[in-house]
Amino acid sequence: MTGQALLWGVLYALPIFVRGDFLLTIFIFTFIYAILAVTFDLIFGFTGQLSMFHPAVFGVSAYMTYLLATNCKLPFWIATLPSAAAAVVLALIVGSICFKFRLKTFYFAVVTLAFSEMIRLFVMNWNSVTNGTLGLVVAAKPTIYWPGSGIVPIKGPIAWYYLTLVCLSLTVLVCARCLRSWMGRCFGAIRLNEDLARTLGINVFRYKLLSFAVGNALASFAGGLYGYYTGYIDPGYLGINQSMEVLAMVLLGGQGTLIGPIVGSLVLTGLPHAIDLRAEIRAILYGAILIFTILVMPRGIVGTLNAWRAKRGA
Amino acid sequence: MKRVSLILAVLALIAAPAAAQDVVKIGQIEAQTGANAIYGWMSSQGTALAVDEINKAGGFKVGNKTYKLQLIALDTRGEPKEATVQLKRLVEVDQAKYIFGPFLSNVFLAVRPYAAEFNGKLLMWGGATRIHDYVGTPGHEFLMRTWNWDAGKNGFGELMVDNLVKTTGAKKIAMLFQNDQGGKVLEDIYVPMLKQKGIESRLDYFEPGTKDFSAVLAKIAAWKPDFLFPGYADSYIYDIVRQATETGQLTKFFLVRGSLGPGLKNKDGIEEYMVYVPKHFEEAEKKDPKVAKFVKAYKDFYKRDFPYDQAPLCSSSCYDHVYMLVEAMKKAGTVDDPAAVKKALMSMTYDGLWKIRFDDKGEAIFNFDVVRLKKGGALEVQHINPN
Amino acid sequence: MTQLVLGQVLNGSIIGAMYGIIALGITLTFGITGIVNFALGEFMMIGAYATYALAERGGLPYPVAVIPACLIAAAAGYLSNKAFFRFTRNNLVNGLLVSIGLISIFESASMLLWTATPVEMHFVLPGALRVGDIGLPKMKLVVFAVIVIVIVVTYLGLARTWLGRAAFAYAQNPEAAMLMGVHTPRLETAVMLYSTGLAGLGGALYASLYSLEPAMGGVYVLKGMEAAILGGIGSLMGSLWGGVILGVIEGVGSIFLPTAFRDAYGLAVLVAILLFRPSGLFGDE
Repeated sequence: MTGQALLWGVLYALPIFVRGDFLLTIFIFTFIYAILAVTFDLIFGFTGQLSMFHPAVFGVSAYMTYLLATNCKLPFWIATLPSAAAAVVLALIVGSICFKFRLKTFYFAVVTLAFSEMIRLFVMNWNSVTNGTLGLVVAAKPTIYWPGSGIVPIKGPIAWYYLTLVCLSLTVLVCARCLRSWMGRCFGAIRLNEDLARTLGINVFRYKLLSFAVGNALASFAGGLYGYYTGYIDPGYLGINQSMEVLAMVLLGGQGTLIGPIVGSLVLTGLPHAIDLRAEIRAILYGAILIFTILVMPRGIVGTLNAWRAKRGA
Repeated sequence: MKRVSLILAVLALIAAPAAAQDVVKIGQIEAQTGANAIYGWMSSQGTALAVDEINKAGGFKVGNKTYKLQLIALDTRGEPKEATVQLKRLVEVDQAKYIFGPFLSNVFLAVRPYAAEFNGKLLMWGGATRIHDYVGTPGHEFLMRTWNWDAGKNGFGELMVDNLVKTTGAKKIAMLFQNDQGGKVLEDIYVPMLKQKGIESRLDYFEPGTKDFSAVLAKIAAWKPDFLFPGYADSYIYDIVRQATETGQLTKFFLVRGSLGPGLKNKDGIEEYMVYVPKHFEEAEKKDPKVAKFVKAYKDFYKRDFPYDQAPLCSSSCYDHVYMLVEAMKKAGTVDDPAAVKKALMSMTYDGLWKIRFDDKGEAIFNFDVVRLKKGGALEVQHINPN
Repeated sequence: MTQLVLGQVLNGSIIGAMYGIIALGITLTFGITGIVNFALGEFMMIGAYATYALAERGGLPYPVAVIPACLIAAAAGYLSNKAFFRFTRNNLVNGLLVSIGLISIFESASMLLWTATPVEMHFVLPGALRVGDIGLPKMKLVVFAVIVIVIVVTYLGLARTWLGRAAFAYAQNPEAAMLMGVHTPRLETAVMLYSTGLAGLGGALYASLYSLEPAMGGVYVLKGMEAAILGGIGSLMGSLWGGVILGVIEGVGSIFLPTAFRDAYGLAVLVAILLFRPSGLFGDE
C-alpha cells in the first residue's frame, strides 16, 4: 500500500524537479496510455476477458469529442460525455453479441478484433465526417475553470501533465471502487472459473458486460485527451498496434493490478527514448523484453514485486 | 557522430547548460525504419554523408570562426507520437535550430503545432506533401518544403500531364491510389487537374497492405483506359505493374511517384512506362561529375551498393540541403539565427546534384527527369529545368 | 460482368490457398500442441527471403531453391520452439505475446539484412492463360496446385498413419498419449518443424508471385488465422476450404463493393461463423 502512495506522491511532485518539456511529454503520453492500460486490465486482468476492442473506443471517442466540440460548440469536457456514452453503446452491442454466444477467451479476442477492424475501416472511409486518412487537425485546447482566473485553456507541458495525471488518478479510483465492491468479487470469480461462478448464481453475462462497458467507457476519455494533446487525429488511432501496445504494457507491468499497467506504460513509453540505438536494434530489444517478461516474469513487474514482498512478510 | 545518452541529457537539464561549442547541430526526424521507411531512409543516408564530408574537410567558416556539424538523426518509425517527443528532445535537450524532415505527412501534422511555438527560432524543412498547406502562411515562417510540388506553373505534375497528352494523345487515364494520406493528396491534385485538361479519368483506391490487385485491375481493364496511373510507393507499384502486364490487359503506365524499377523489371510486358524521377542516376552518373562523385562517396562511406532506385529521394532534405544550409549560413553571416539563414536560403540558388531554389512561399523548385521506357527496355530521358 | 466475377472466383481461390497453407500451420500447431504461433507469418517471410537469396543471389534454379528455403524456415521454427514456444503450451495469451515479441525480432532482423526496400525475384514462369477476358498467370496455377497437393498429403498423412493418430491422441490427452508410448516432446518438435516449414513453403511460393518486404508476414498471419477459424481449428482440410472461401469472398466482394472495405467482408463472415458455428465450418466439437 505504501508503495502505491509513494508512487503517486512522486508523480504529483515530479514537475517541481523536472522542468524539461521533453521529459514531461513522455510522462503525459505515459498517463494517457496508462488510462487505456488500466481500463484494459479491468476487463482482462480482473475479469479474464482478452478484449481487442480498445482501439475502437480510443479512436471513436477521439473523433467524436473533437467533432462535437467543434461543430456543436461544446466545451471539451461536455463533449467527452457523449463520446463516453457512444463507447458504452458500442461496448454493449459488441459485448452482448460476444457474451450471449458464450465465446471462449481466444474467440472473444478474435471477434472483438474483427469488430474493431470493421469500425476502423468504417471510420477511415467516412470521408465527409472524419476526413478519412487525411485526418483532423485539432487546434483547440481543453479548458478548465481555475478559481481566480476563470476559464483557462490547458496549455504547456505542466498543465497537461497535471490534467492527464488527474484523469489517470480518477480512472484508477473509479476502477478501485468497482473492484472493491461486489462487482469486483464477481469479476474475480468469473476470471477464475466461469462455470463455477455461474453455478454459484452469478449472472456471468451481466457482469462480463458490465466490466466490458465500464472499461471501454473510461478508456474513451483517453481518446479525447490524446487527440487534443497531439493535435492530430487519424484512423491510425484504431489500429491493431494500439491493442498490442496496451496488452504489452499490462503484461509487462503486471496484470491483475491497478498500478502494474501504469508502470508498464511508463517503461514502454519511455524506454524507446532512453535506449539510443539503431532503430532496428531497438525493435529487437523490445521484442526480447516482451518475451523475457512473459517467460521469466509472467506476473509482470508489479506482480513480481508484490510476490517478493509477500514472501518477505512485508 | 556522437549520440548523447538520455541520462546525460537529464543531468544536463538539471545542471547548468554547457556553453555551445563551435558546433552547429542539425536535427533530423525521418522514418528510417517501419512500413514507410522508404521515405526517410535515403534522406538520412544522404545527410549523414554530407555532414561527414564537411567535417572531414575541416568544417566551414562563418565570420572568422570555424564550425563543424553535428547530425542528430532520430528515427520516427513513421509514428507521429514518437516524432513529437523526438522533436521536443531535439529542440530542448539538444538545442538544434535546424531540423531536417519530415517526409511523412502524418508525422508533420503532429509536430507542426509544437514547432510553430518556436517560430522565428527554428528552421524546419521537409518533403511532406501536407507542408504545402502551411508553408508561406502566417505563423509558419520557420517552415520550408524541400520537394517539388505537382501543380501550378512550375509543378512537375502539370508539365508531365501536358507532355503526356502531347506525345501520346491520351484521353482516358485510370488512377489507382493507396487509401491513405498520400493517395488522398494525389487525388486532390490530379482529379481536378485531369478534368481541367479535358481528360476522362476514374479513381480506384486500394487498402495499404494489398499485394494482389487482380480484382481492381480487372475492373479497370474493363474500362479500357489509355494509361494506368498507379499510387506512390514502389512496394505497391512493383506488384501493380507486374500483375497488370502479366495478363496483357494494361500495359501503359504514367507515374508521378515511385521509381523506374518496376518498369525495368517488367520491360517486356509494358508498352510504355513514363515516370517522374527527380534524377535518373544511372545516366547522370555517367554525364555529371558531381553525381559520379556522390555515388562513389556513398559507396565508400557505407560500403554497400549504391541504391539507384532510392537515390532520387535524396532530392528532399538530403545531401544537397546540408551543403545548401552551410552556404546560407555563410551568406547570412550567422549560425544562430534561423530566420536570417532562411532569408539567405530564399534568395539563393544552389547547384549541387540538383539545381535548387525556393519560391516565394518557401517551396522548392528543382530540375527533374522524366523517363520514358518502352517495351524491350529502350529509354529516353527528358531533362526538365523549371529554374 | 460474369467474366469479372468468374475471374475473381478463380483468383480468389488461388490467393485463398495461400491463406490456407498458413491456416494449416496454425491449425496443426494449436490443434495438436495447444501453442498459438501467431508469428507464422515471420516464418513465411524467412522462407520467402531465403528463396530469394538462393535463387537470385545464389543462382539456384527456383524449384531447387524452394527446398532449402523451407528447411531454413523450419530450422528457425525449431529454435523458436526450443527457446520460447514450448513454454506457452495451452496458454493463449503468453503464446500471443511471445509471438508479438518474435515478430518484432524477426522483422527487424530482416530489415537489417534486406532493408525496407522491396525485392523481387525474377519471373519464374511468366505468362498467363487467357480465356476470354479472364487472365490467369501460369505461376499462380502452379502455386495453387502445389499448395493443394501439400495440404491433401498432410491430411492423408495425419488421418491414415500411426503418427497422425498419435498426434491427435496427444492433442486430446498428453499424459495418456505419453503412457501409450507416444514420444511427446519429439511430437511437439515435429509439429513445430512441419508447420513452420509449411509457412516457409508458402513464403517460397509467395516469392514467385509478389515483391518481398520485411513486413510481409503480418497480413498473412491475420488472414491465415481467419481462415483457420473459418474452417475450424483442428480440421486440416478445413484450413484449405477456409482459406479459399475467404479469398473468394474478398475477391468477389471487391467487384461489387468498394475495394476499400475488402478486409471487412472476410471479417464479417468470420464473426458470423464464430457466433453461429464456433467450431468453424468443418470442425467437430
